[in-house]
Amino acid sequence: MKEMSQMITIELNGQQQPLSPGSTVNDLLAIVGSDGKSVAVLVNDRIIRPENRATHQLQEGNRVELLIFAGGG
Amino acid sequence: MDVLQLGSYTFSSRLILGTGKFSNSRVMLDAVRASGAQLVTVALRRFNREQLEDDLFGPLSAIEGITLMPNTSGASTAAEAVRAAHIACELSGSPFIKVEIHPNPQHLMPDPIETFEASRILAKEGFLVMPYIAADPVLAKRLEEVGCASVMPLGSAIGSGQGLATSEMLNIIIRESGIPVIVDAGLRSPSEAALAMEMGCEAVLVNSAIAVAGNPSEMAEAFAEAVAAGRKAFRAGLMQKSGSAVATSPLTSFLGTL
Repeated sequence: MKEMSQMITIELNGQQQPLSPGSTVNDLLAIVGSDGKSVAVLVNDRIIRPENRATHQLQEGNRVELLIFAGGG
Repeated sequence: MDVLQLGSYTFSSRLILGTGKFSNSRVMLDAVRASGAQLVTVALRRFNREQLEDDLFGPLSAIEGITLMPNTSGASTAAEAVRAAHIACELSGSPFIKVEIHPNPQHLMPDPIETFEASRILAKEGFLVMPYIAADPVLAKRLEEVGCASVMPLGSAIGSGQGLATSEMLNIIIRESGIPVIVDAGLRSPSEAALAMEMGCEAVLVNSAIAVAGNPSEMAEAFAEAVAAGRKAFRAGLMQKSGSAVATSPLTSFLGTL
């Protein structure tokens, strides 16, 4: 069990989200329960493509947006 | 074969469906199937782990013959719409983008300046741009000139059910346009969709009228039939209107012979 002081905090869809240091985008997707197939990922306004999610590490203070297609006209 | 041509894409259905306001995803998906629509618009929203059923990408992609046309709703500037288009394309792989920029939630009227700028940028980048606009013939022509795949003027305000309140302007846009004109927003009844097609629209986009109907799937079918009938009538050629009666039966050489 890691101490809270060892955790980093990111902003996920506008909410604070603690993460273990070194967590990747895929780690985050697993935490929130997304298979990642139908989610667009932006880190600090930059799109992270599926092939880069396993290696892209999140940093303290990163602003992460997870977006899906929902109903709209 | 009479098809709707948008860029290099062809569609046999001329009914485009919106996916908002349905009571749940199952009802929406049933209506999409019943409509026979091949082009369906969706919106970008934040992922919510408590509402996984909101995610429509998988279920819609599973319907055979469906092409997604993401929209940029929520954007209030051209820059936001361009950003939304890039994200949507990343997610869907579809070249279609419905540019929808309405900064005022009270009336939801599209911002012509931001819409033009976003459409210009996205068309240049290779998107098949489908801008939602007021029924403005000048703007429609300018959007054609910058390479949009269609123009989508409103029949009346989004979700209002006021029908073809802009029909005078729509007629001018249709007459002047070299790209497909698609009425988007405001339609309430299948007869209005048929009328839009008879006027020469290439397609109609319907959402609320189907989504909030008592039986959405049945209404989707009704719209599909109306759109097909309106298109057929347009192609068949409507008779000219006359200011006075024109007899359909012979009025002479009858009584005098008795």
